[in-house]
Amino acid sequence: MGAIMSAMGSLPANVSTIPMRCLVGATVVFNEPICREHFRLRLGLPGRFSPTKPGQFVQLGCRPPGGGQNQEALLGQCIEWDTAIPPKLTQTELCEELALLRRPFSLAGRGDNATGTWIDVIHRVVGTGTQWLAHLAAGDRVDLIGPLGNQFELPDDKSLGLLVGGGVGLPPMFYLAQWMHQAGWDVVGFVGATTRDLLAVTCNSGQEPDPGGLPTHCIEEFSQFNFPAVVTTDDGSQGLMGRVTDGLEPLLRGLSVPRRRQAVVFVCGPQAMMQATAHLAQAYGVDCQVCLEQAMACGMGTCQSCVVKIHDQPGDIGETGDWRYKLACTDGPVFNAQDVAWA
Amino acid sequence: MNGEEPSLNVNLAGLKLANPMMTASGTCGYCFEYADLLDLSRLGAFVTKTITAKPRKGNEAYRIVETRGGMLNAIGLANVGLEVFLKEKLPQLRQLRASGPRIIVNIAGHDANEFAELATHVSAEDDIDAIELNVSCPNVAGGLDFGTNPDLLEPLVAKVRQSITPNINLIVKLSPNVGDICQTARAAINGGANILSMINTYTALTVDVYHRRPRLANGTGGLSGPAIRPLAVYLVNRVYQNVARQANVPIIAMGGIQYWQDAAEFILAGASALAVGTGLFINPATPTNISDQLVSWLSKLGYNHLEQAVGSLQMPTAATDTHSQ
Repeated sequence: MGAIMSAMGSLPANVSTIPMRCLVGATVVFNEPICREHFRLRLGLPGRFSPTKPGQFVQLGCRPPGGGQNQEALLGQCIEWDTAIPPKLTQTELCEELALLRRPFSLAGRGDNATGTWIDVIHRVVGTGTQWLAHLAAGDRVDLIGPLGNQFELPDDKSLGLLVGGGVGLPPMFYLAQWMHQAGWDVVGFVGATTRDLLAVTCNSGQEPDPGGLPTHCIEEFSQFNFPAVVTTDDGSQGLMGRVTDGLEPLLRGLSVPRRRQAVVFVCGPQAMMQATAHLAQAYGVDCQVCLEQAMACGMGTCQSCVVKIHDQPGDIGETGDWRYKLACTDGPVFNAQDVAWA
Repeated sequence: MNGEEPSLNVNLAGLKLANPMMTASGTCGYCFEYADLLDLSRLGAFVTKTITAKPRKGNEAYRIVETRGGMLNAIGLANVGLEVFLKEKLPQLRQLRASGPRIIVNIAGHDANEFAELATHVSAEDDIDAIELNVSCPNVAGGLDFGTNPDLLEPLVAKVRQSITPNINLIVKLSPNVGDICQTARAAINGGANILSMINTYTALTVDVYHRRPRLANGTGGLSGPAIRPLAVYLVNRVYQNVARQANVPIIAMGGIQYWQDAAEFILAGASALAVGTGLFINPATPTNISDQLVSWLSKLGYNHLEQAVGSLQMPTAATDTHSQ
């Protein structure tokens, strides 16, 4: 913590840093397969992690902390060697195939206890970095930077959350459900996948999702808070056959107009699915918040990689045209759906 | 080690730094973006994003893709433009400067006149210690012309030099995308650069083999990270041996620096200062970590000052520069 506090020393008082981001070492609590290619990774953090909210993410190092070359480098310590014996330097970039950059993961849950904080992320094996993550076991060490990004907003005049997650867009919805439970909202979860074995959720035994698309207490990530959920798969191998919007539309249609005004759709998933969900919400006059994803390097607003097109807002200055690039990492990842200039 | 620790003080042709570690342009934002992860006051110098005359939106996504040991970027010089920079970002940089680091503003223009105009505006401000010319951005149309053609580069640098106050240091960032980097290094020095920084990214291409198209929206991008480090060390040494040492022009080196060993390689090859770019994305505290560790390295070598190590690489006497064969 000493290094972090001294880092704060260079910060002028008028620059906001709340919640404070930090680079921390973490210990793997467990890394359990959920379904094909998907794992739930629980990380134990020493002490109390900065406050976090649903929608926020962490940048996880997908290689041994310190780059595998020397953990001392990460800790700012010096490597000692005997002058008579030259140091043996391992050149990781030549002998190992590891991810260089960190990978962003939405928080899927968080808990605090006497010894520290745990956070959950859900990862899918899609490349070099996530292949390394898949082999993590309890006790292994990783490091991460976080918390990063903004968060879902829970407006005071709303009380019904429709949480729509597709594929790797599900994790922030699980954390959001946890948050909404504490905030006293009514929630219905909408869980979409291409097929049954890519459904990254825990199905309650004896509670099959309704093939007709009715909300049931079938998904543990929602039912643990007494929230029902609707499951859709593209091929009908579980729950309702169709897209996640096919599960959402009947519910929206069934809401009274006053109830629609109290509802908010929260969505995260593939872009086409988020766009379709946003249009559906708009058609029923329901507010919608989207959690966007874009390839990023830093996660802290410096590399300017993770651009998303956002319509100009009242008060914006210095741009022409009706949209501008904003950064998914620091302006987002959560945006009002109506502000997004969909492709 | 007896007595005092080796000194990391650096004097870059009059630009005095508390230590050799800097941020590389375009990887550290405008000022305080990393403030809670990096003690910015402990940098030798802070280098801004490239500033252009007008705001630039930059390229379409994907702007970045990782390759083995490196990354390609094609941001397209997205930045707020000179007016917003001076109004909103410069006051923050002044606060930062008061805590220690020198301030280097990186600029790019479409032509020599725009470069000169930008430099004039920037150098008119207090608290800016150096201007770095980005003559080698590979990701904008025409961006490489100045940086790859010595006949264009020298008059450009001369024009900028004439248009700025004499006390401001002028750095030219060299492109590696040339046949002989010594020619552009000479052109920059002849034009009036008193410091060189090298290298910018390597123009590169990576392909989505199923869709048969580039993985970056821009097509090509600039390769950075550990993948280019040995290439960068070679070019630094080549420019140091053939141009910079005789001209007494210091080199700021960059290209894949992540660990103190990487920095040490560049110092031995001829670099007086070092910038971290891609490495910041992985650990923003990389520059200060390296500073701490360079002290230990220098004392192991028996040096009491960093400058003693600069260019002290012992090349084999029979070594032939394969480049000149």
